[in-house]
Amino acid sequence: MRKLLVVFAVLLAFTVFAEEVIKIGAIFPLTGPAAATGVKIKYAVEVAQEIINGEHPEIELLLGKSAGLPNLNGAKIQFVFADHQANPELAMAEAERLIRNEGVVALIGCYHSSATKPASQVAEKYGIPFIAGSSSSAALTERGLQWFFRIAPHDGMETVFFFEYLKYLNQKYNANVKKVAVVYIDNEYGVHAAQMVKEKIKDYQADGFSIVADVKYPAGATNVDIEVQKIKGAKPDAIFHASYIGDMTMFVKKYKEFNVVPKVVLSYCGGYQDPQFVINLGKDADYFAGPNATTSALFKKMAILAKINEMYKAKSGVDIDGPTLEDFASAIVIAEAINLAGSTDPQKVLNVLKTGTFMAPYFVSGRIKFGPDGQNIYSASVMTQILDGIYEAVWPEQYQTKEPVPQFPDWNKR
Amino acid sequence: MMFLQVVLTGVLVGSVYSLVAVGLTLVWGLMDIINFAHGDMMMISMYTVFWLYTLLKFDPFVSLPISAGITALLGIVIYKLVIKRVVNAPGLMALLATFGLSLFIRNFAQFLWTPNYRFVGESILSGKRILIADIVIGLPQLIAALGSILMTLLIALFIKRTKTGKAIQATAQSRDIAELMGVNTEKVYAVTFALSGICVGVAGTLLSGIFPVYPEAGAMYGLLAFVIVALGGFGNIWGAFYAGILIGLTEALGGFYLGTQFKYALAFLIYLLVLQFRPKGLFGW
Amino acid sequence: MNEIMKNRMLYLIFAIILILPFVLQDVNFQHITIMFLIFAGLGEGWNIITGFTGQTSFGHAAFFGIGAYTSTIMFYKFGISPWIGMILGALFAAGISAVVSYPCFRLKGHYFAIATLAVAEIIKQLFVSWDYVEGATGISIPVKPDSFWMMQFHKSKIPYFLIAYVLFIVATLVAVAVEKNKMGYYLKAIRESHEAAEALGINTTRYKLYAMMISSAVTAVFGTLYAQYILYIDPFMVFGLDISMKIVLLTVLGGLGSVYGPIIGAAILIPLSEYTRVFLGGTGKGIDLMIYGALIVIVACFEPRGVLGLFRRTKKRGAQYAKTTA
Repeated sequence: MRKLLVVFAVLLAFTVFAEEVIKIGAIFPLTGPAAATGVKIKYAVEVAQEIINGEHPEIELLLGKSAGLPNLNGAKIQFVFADHQANPELAMAEAERLIRNEGVVALIGCYHSSATKPASQVAEKYGIPFIAGSSSSAALTERGLQWFFRIAPHDGMETVFFFEYLKYLNQKYNANVKKVAVVYIDNEYGVHAAQMVKEKIKDYQADGFSIVADVKYPAGATNVDIEVQKIKGAKPDAIFHASYIGDMTMFVKKYKEFNVVPKVVLSYCGGYQDPQFVINLGKDADYFAGPNATTSALFKKMAILAKINEMYKAKSGVDIDGPTLEDFASAIVIAEAINLAGSTDPQKVLNVLKTGTFMAPYFVSGRIKFGPDGQNIYSASVMTQILDGIYEAVWPEQYQTKEPVPQFPDWNKR
Repeated sequence: MMFLQVVLTGVLVGSVYSLVAVGLTLVWGLMDIINFAHGDMMMISMYTVFWLYTLLKFDPFVSLPISAGITALLGIVIYKLVIKRVVNAPGLMALLATFGLSLFIRNFAQFLWTPNYRFVGESILSGKRILIADIVIGLPQLIAALGSILMTLLIALFIKRTKTGKAIQATAQSRDIAELMGVNTEKVYAVTFALSGICVGVAGTLLSGIFPVYPEAGAMYGLLAFVIVALGGFGNIWGAFYAGILIGLTEALGGFYLGTQFKYALAFLIYLLVLQFRPKGLFGW
Repeated sequence: MNEIMKNRMLYLIFAIILILPFVLQDVNFQHITIMFLIFAGLGEGWNIITGFTGQTSFGHAAFFGIGAYTSTIMFYKFGISPWIGMILGALFAAGISAVVSYPCFRLKGHYFAIATLAVAEIIKQLFVSWDYVEGATGISIPVKPDSFWMMQFHKSKIPYFLIAYVLFIVATLVAVAVEKNKMGYYLKAIRESHEAAEALGINTTRYKLYAMMISSAVTAVFGTLYAQYILYIDPFMVFGLDISMKIVLLTVLGGLGSVYGPIIGAAILIPLSEYTRVFLGGTGKGIDLMIYGALIVIVACFEPRGVLGLFRRTKKRGAQYAKTTA
């Protein structure tokens, strides 16, 4: 009997002194049409968890050196994954379940803006922080939510970035880009991006830009032949794409077949940024461009990024890409905020998120700070262009790894 | 000139739809079963081609018999394991079974091969094209269309000329009478599923150069095939063939002149309109 | 009315469902019971046109979406209570279903089924392209303080549960009433043989139309509730083929053409999909949906009359057993 008591006491002691585990919900599309991206993000968040919980002095992040959160007696962070299958209903249900049943103290997610909307609404209701890494719809931060934050630049910012880049090409390289075609998928992501182009182009009409084609294609399209013929007929200088990896690849194949030779093709955060784009298309992927939170060309310049990528690549087999890194950042930021707050009390964490500046040496901007609407005011993006199969940073000039090429060569001459 | 290009695109795209639909209409006409897993069988064929290409460097055209064989086998397995048990079930039970099967196959593919979008890189055809004045014809697309037409022709001949084909026809007319005449309907069903598998197997192979390979790759083709089969008249091979071309043309012309976002909605609209005049499909009786 | 009172079994089921969320006060469980009620109710509505009348509809998402969008637009643009939107949505859905299905009723069997699918896909595309209803971007329903009149409750799920419960009972009783009424016999006559029904002097088109209108009105009502519950809608989630098929699947699984069918089907399918996702969905390997799909196949293969058939068989066997021992 006494033995039993001792065992019991020891067990009790263990449970009392065992490190606390802090749970954070992570809701991503892990099955269904966007599963490819969702699963990659899951790997990145797992890397973030390893960095936070393990001792990684080689990674110079606030939480790299120590195991767990130093300000909370080394408490460990656990990301609890949930699948929303690209369905807003499931995102909402999973958010509620994670908060109430799993007892998560914060949420990250959901990649799709349409899933992020209801899920962050739930976080707002329960008063816990929600950080979106890569959801890009500008509408998300226009809702006046108190508990919502976003790391990625939204599509409105991206659009301005596009036009500024085109202006730069026109000035420096005499590219003479004027006519813009907008090509986008007929869903939340594509339609919202296209709206932004139509809105922002008003500020750039003085620079001679105009929209010559507006091509919207249905999600899950079996072919894009007709779309490409329409684009070809409009003879654009620049094409703005809001497409996922599958459709984007089909477009490139058809551009080649129909010999569509624009000067510039810029892509919103989506298919272009996925490294699978280069793997699938090889040489044909060259000269496409788009904003990206990171590129493999930057690994040489940023040692910490290279180390993070090493851990990521061991899991996923590919280099880390922009959207994935943004969701990685959301995981790191929420852990740092909890650590700085010294507690999981949502109000304290919220104050840290609202006022703090977070070091983000893995981004070219180097830091993250949320504005009053919850939007990260430091845009983490650089313009990248694929040159010889590598995403090179081409603009702004201070981050340049290679000069941009403002003209597609003829498809036969590659 | 633009008009001709668009029409040509419609015909090329439509002929692949036709082949997928021919496979579906065989089963549907014979057993009155809506096979929701039809598109997913096509996806399996695409993965077969992809893996043969990636691991063994087989050109898609070399893999054609292998992938068609695998989907034919898959068709037989599906029949023996599942369809056989539900073919006489009341109501929509067979539909329930094939829907479950579709979910299973799709997610099994994700389980085995990850959800990544992949492409078969270089084949002997990739990037080649024919130019006639201003009109562009992509060679992979052209071969896909010609292959589909050829395959449809072969299937039609098989049904019409061979003994097995005649048995299929007889069973479709009346199962009981066919059995009385000594037809092994069990075998006929299995053969039909194999034929259906061959159709999607060939279609998947032909598409692998122009369409990404991923677990949901068959979804939209499967859905369109339903409409095409009904438009052509259930069980009617040439009906499915012409209906496929019609849907392809609608998609291309409608998409080009009215807005590409409407291309599938227009295909569905055509179905509703045609059925007002031909309530049993174009070639139904 | 007398007929309705006879269904003692049904009342027992109602009573059991009512206590569920109070016994197990787990929020995820409550969510599942709400989804169960919504989909069981949708199944009851769908059963009227397909189970009773034999006209397979693969396009009920169209009416679900119309219900969701009517109330949401009225609330979002004009601040009108979703309750009014719910009623108007049901009327709209009934009207639209009459207009679109009247010409389709000439089609028989699968031709009709595919036509309903086509109609739903066309309506979805119209909503995706319609700027006034925010098109593909969807609508986030503005959050208001808890209020019955505005059908929004944030503190607890119980009010949503109670509304879903009442609507579910109404839907079930509507189905019972249709079935036991003269109309029900007409509908079943149409199902068994269209020609024979006409020969008996039944105006088949008219009764099919009635059945379709009632069915779609019931469906639309749940659309409103769903929108108010999720507080976000876009055309893909409410008009999608997924919704149509889910309704079909659970009713067929439970037992087509019986008021118990949708209840049993939803009671199996909804928790199954939710719990497999909760426990296995986080792996990112699709295991949850593999299991879900495989179980559907197994049920279909081994219980071709639906789960209800299993109950009936065991009951019969039990009766036989009682006879032999007596």
